Amino acid sequence: MWRLNKVRHKAGRQGDSLEELRLKRREHEKALRQARRDRQLVSKRLLLTEDEEQSEVTMDTTSGEQDVVSLFHKLQHSGPEREAHLKALSKALRDPSAQLTFIKQENSMHLLVGLLTGSDAQCRLQAVQCLHKLSHSPHTNVAPACLPATPYLLTYLSGQSTKFTELCLYTLGNLCPDSDAVKEKLLAQGIIPALASCIENQRYNLAVVEAVGFTLSQLLQAKDAAEKIIPMVLASSLPSSLLSVLTPDPKFGLAPAIECAWCLHYLACSSEYSRELLAHGALLQCSSLLLSLGGAVAEGNREEGLELLVCPLLRCVGNLLSICPVDSLSSQVGDVRLVVSLCALLQTYIHTQPALARETAWVLNNLTAHSSAVCSALLTLSLVPGLIQLLPFSQGINTMVLRVLANIAHKKKEFCVQLARLGLLSTLCATLKMADQEMVTLSLEVLFVLLVSRPQADNIPCS
Amino acid sequence: MYCGFSEEYMKSSGNTEEQEPRHGELPFSFTPQCVHLHRDHELFEDGDIHRHMYLQDLYTSEVDDKPTLSVSEFACHISGCSAVFSALEEYEHHYNSLHRHVCCSCRRSLPSARLLDIHIQEWHDSLFTILAQRQDMYQCLVEGCGQKFRTSKHRKDHLIRIHKYPPDFRFDKTKKDKGIRETKRLQQKDTNMEVVDDVCESEGVCEVMCGVLSDQPEQGESMETHVSEEEAACMAKPAATEEHAGLSAAVHGNECSSTETLKPRYSYRVPSTVCFGHGSIRGFRGRRGRRK
Repeated sequence: MWRLNKVRHKAGRQGDSLEELRLKRREHEKALRQARRDRQLVSKRLLLTEDEEQSEVTMDTTSGEQDVVSLFHKLQHSGPEREAHLKALSKALRDPSAQLTFIKQENSMHLLVGLLTGSDAQCRLQAVQCLHKLSHSPHTNVAPACLPATPYLLTYLSGQSTKFTELCLYTLGNLCPDSDAVKEKLLAQGIIPALASCIENQRYNLAVVEAVGFTLSQLLQAKDAAEKIIPMVLASSLPSSLLSVLTPDPKFGLAPAIECAWCLHYLACSSEYSRELLAHGALLQCSSLLLSLGGAVAEGNREEGLELLVCPLLRCVGNLLSICPVDSLSSQVGDVRLVVSLCALLQTYIHTQPALARETAWVLNNLTAHSSAVCSALLTLSLVPGLIQLLPFSQGINTMVLRVLANIAHKKKEFCVQLARLGLLSTLCATLKMADQEMVTLSLEVLFVLLVSRPQADNIPCS
Repeated sequence: MYCGFSEEYMKSSGNTEEQEPRHGELPFSFTPQCVHLHRDHELFEDGDIHRHMYLQDLYTSEVDDKPTLSVSEFACHISGCSAVFSALEEYEHHYNSLHRHVCCSCRRSLPSARLLDIHIQEWHDSLFTILAQRQDMYQCLVEGCGQKFRTSKHRKDHLIRIHKYPPDFRFDKTKKDKGIRETKRLQQKDTNMEVVDDVCESEGVCEVMCGVLSDQPEQGESMETHVSEEEAACMAKPAATEEHAGLSAAVHGNECSSTETLKPRYSYRVPSTVCFGHGSIRGFRGRRGRRK
């Protein structure tokens, strides 16, 4: 995956010790968690060229700002050096304070837009690079300053130049979350239809697909997305396009599928509209993809970043199951051996990523809640012992797994007998003694059903 | 089995495929349910963070050193006992030591079923008291010995002389010791002790056999189990209030400074007429010995 490779490369180069790196990451993670709690979790992406990657960003702020001002002045004169000046400007604009300085220059945006739309193709490319750097700014007042460029960026989405289109897309994606005014303007200027036709026309260009996915995910994460954005997206051709590129390409990697899966997750979360996703066959597609991914994981495939795709797929399946009518469950889920994959994912992630294991258990709950066929499959395919072994683990995992077992027990007497034979009763003796009240309650519920289903009053093998 | 759970744990009914009709009086109301999670649900937090770390070029496949998976704790569910354990074995040891052989009448915990039986007989059985006036009723505490004695003093002498027991064996306190402590305790006017007062006084001459905390010889009637040091260390939640149950007072006794007198405390949340069967804090044993 190109992005992952670049991270490692960069980290090694800057000579940070492993411990420093870990510390930085932990700090960053803490900040992200707080941002999520404040409902302000926003990320931007910066696309860099090969040589931009190589060069160091070590210039001090003041010289950067001066560069920006002088470059701006130079750019006001046409000539063959314009492209070089733009390149230098693009490099200078990586610095946040230089970004502020630039937008404060009178007519700076006007100039940039002129170059963006001019007749010189190379200048266009460099101009969009500059805009892209500006869009990545941490300062929220930079985005509104970029508004004059957006109608052109949108127009260029239907163009054919891959790199150019990519830059336009990531620039737009970065601008979306910064202010409501920007978002309103973009919606009015037709960003959704533009994205829809872009992904349709360029579906074999996976770099562009990834960029569309990212931009769309930025829109869908808006606080009020459910009111306007989601209905508009569902009404367009975007859902089917997203679904069609969901299967990862082995050569290109997981990145485009990851972006599209996250878009589907944000769409599936909205309970009012997600029924339309069902109509598009989203549940079927996501579950069959999960089935194959889980199978790959079970066979030992530890492809990097796989969980970045598995996570949104799990969430789609989980939430779509909760709104799926019970009688169409079998047609929507397809192969019931999905449970094999889910259990494999559970076992794989239980120690490395317990939160993901918990989400997997949640999906199993939703699968088993109203389907005898699924419950039967869990028993026939010998998956229950593995589930029982997960009952010691806390942080919500054991409660969810116990719910799954409770779902199985509530279906048929025969299932109860089988569960008892697999040793569930003696495990309940332990779970009944747990500190977690929900575990104790659920244990009693399961115990009750198991006892009621016993053919005669047998001895219970525990205290 | 006693089940008293508050309403919040009852699930609302959904569409189910239960094979049993709903039992109206029983509190078992679990129904299989789908759970829908909205975008900002806390269950999604870790995954979202992971996603954004990736977007910001901070993804790493290596697992961080922080231990993320934890194992459920176990907790003693006996009314009033708030002990918590990290392993099932610890819990079972706690339960077997403190809650198993408990006298229904006076809530003393004895180390074995046999000693419990003897205690109940000698403390709470009026028939025993009557018979003891005429025949040798006090059994030797050593299993297999079989000898019986007219008074507890005779038995104690026997234990010391023949079986080499220490003179201050914890499970064979004389009536005199108990009496002194009883008066001391009564003077403290602890209203929480009404149950035991009642029972002990009404039995007349009887001997106390109970576990006493090793470090608290004359601190007032302990009435509780003997608690090993390691167990005391395990108890996570100190009792803050008076109403905290009796058995855990043993622990706090251990942790308290020796200047504090150990006051037995009881929780009366469960009606005193309810018994929970053999081995629980109020076993069915010894009912005959209860107050008249």
